[in-house]
Amino acid sequence: MTYQLSEWFAVARSDDAVPRHIVQTQLLGQELALWRDDDGAVNVWENRCPHRGARFSIGYNLGMELRCQYHAWRYATGSGRCSAIPAHPAMKPPATIAAKPYASAEKYGLIWVCLDSDADLAGLPKLPGDVWTGMRSVFVNSPAAALRRELGADTAQVVYFLQPVDEARTIIHCLVAGAPAAAARLTLQRRYNAELTALRDRLEQAS
Amino acid sequence: MAAIWSPIMASKAESSPALWNDWHVISQVRAGQKGSSTTRLMDVPLTITWNGSVDSIEVHDDRGNGIRSTCKYGFLWACLGEPAREIVEIPECEDQGRLLVPVGAVGLATSGFRAIENFLDLGHLAFIHSGFLGQEPYTEVRRHKVETTADGVCASEVKIYQPYASPSASGAIDVDFDYYVPRPDVIYLRKTNPVHNDKRDVVALFVQMTSEEHCIAHMLCAYLPEGLEVRGMREFSQIILSQDKTILENQIPKRLPLRETSEISSRADAASVAYRRWLSASGVRYGVIPAQ
Repeated sequence: MTYQLSEWFAVARSDDAVPRHIVQTQLLGQELALWRDDDGAVNVWENRCPHRGARFSIGYNLGMELRCQYHAWRYATGSGRCSAIPAHPAMKPPATIAAKPYASAEKYGLIWVCLDSDADLAGLPKLPGDVWTGMRSVFVNSPAAALRRELGADTAQVVYFLQPVDEARTIIHCLVAGAPAAAARLTLQRRYNAELTALRDRLEQAS
Repeated sequence: MAAIWSPIMASKAESSPALWNDWHVISQVRAGQKGSSTTRLMDVPLTITWNGSVDSIEVHDDRGNGIRSTCKYGFLWACLGEPAREIVEIPECEDQGRLLVPVGAVGLATSGFRAIENFLDLGHLAFIHSGFLGQEPYTEVRRHKVETTADGVCASEVKIYQPYASPSASGAIDVDFDYYVPRPDVIYLRKTNPVHNDKRDVVALFVQMTSEEHCIAHMLCAYLPEGLEVRGMREFSQIILSQDKTILENQIPKRLPLRETSEISSRADAASVAYRRWLSASGVRYGVIPAQ
């Protein structure tokens, strides 16, 4: 299956990006580090410090900066620009040193990413109504195309967004319309968890 | 079905003579060991037959070919090709007046060159080995000399504030270091002894590249004996190695990138940059992402 570079993908639920945490995920083979700053803005960066390649996801979310575990270089929220190199405390890091941020957005309770450097927010999927409730996201060892065939068409009540992790693996993000009260939500979560788990088991056993 | 005609190569490493025709550690040697064991060197499966004495060890590859091997510094070394030079000389590692202790062998899911570079790296000490080999706020990497010759890379006149520089340390000291990388997969350092500040201890790392993206790091300490016991030396080194393992297995890509634009360097990385250039100039194409 081929994808347009301009396409937006859901890569996490908004509530996965809790304060001072770094989420590791992957999209189309590209490892990503997601983190929310103390003002609530979400960053989605290539999961790799440009200095010596250490995964950002084993580093620290300092609130408005991310600190690499290896040499404690710090990178600013938003721009990704390097703000400190402790090996040279008196030196202001050159502007050319930066993490690689991807275009991201939060909508419908999901975090969205576009890998294109000319990402256009107009390309975000449009759903009827702004209020949706995320069900449990399910990881499947199966290509996205196979899952799309199985899931069938979206309805006004439930939609599925597929995150192609790589050519062979996919994460299914499932949204249900509205904001049901706790008891009803639990019933829905159980139902879609059971359905998606059964789908996963069927596809993985078939392969 | 059409026949596939391709030259049979035992290992991709054959195209890197600087590795293929050199000696590499494949095991620690224990006195009186008998029986056989298996290991791997640059994708070649090896069987070691131990016959109770260091003079009668035999090494074979998986096709039954005899592989050259010899013992030095308490390790078994093997050469898969035609040895182009001797095993590296580190006089302190044969000094019987020192405590010579193979302190541990750690498997690492990364290129052996990432492990050598990590040993050579000064900027991580205050963070990854905090409380041992460095400490905030002493994070500055002070100016030092870095030289590259035909014999390898040398970083000298290195000074680091270390709270607990070695198992015989009783308090923080400013430690003087010299680092030597005489072979692509061998590194050692000389550092101030915490008891006799005019003398130096030696720590060597011999890296066994089992594949391009896996290795075993064998560490040897040659310390002045005062205030030391073997058990303490092993514990100390294994703490240090395990701290580095976490980082090393989270570096992307695993093979060391030799193109200078693939990873950004600062002045503190002068030795690392010199090491990468020297690997390039030595024609190493295994375990690295070549510059071209």
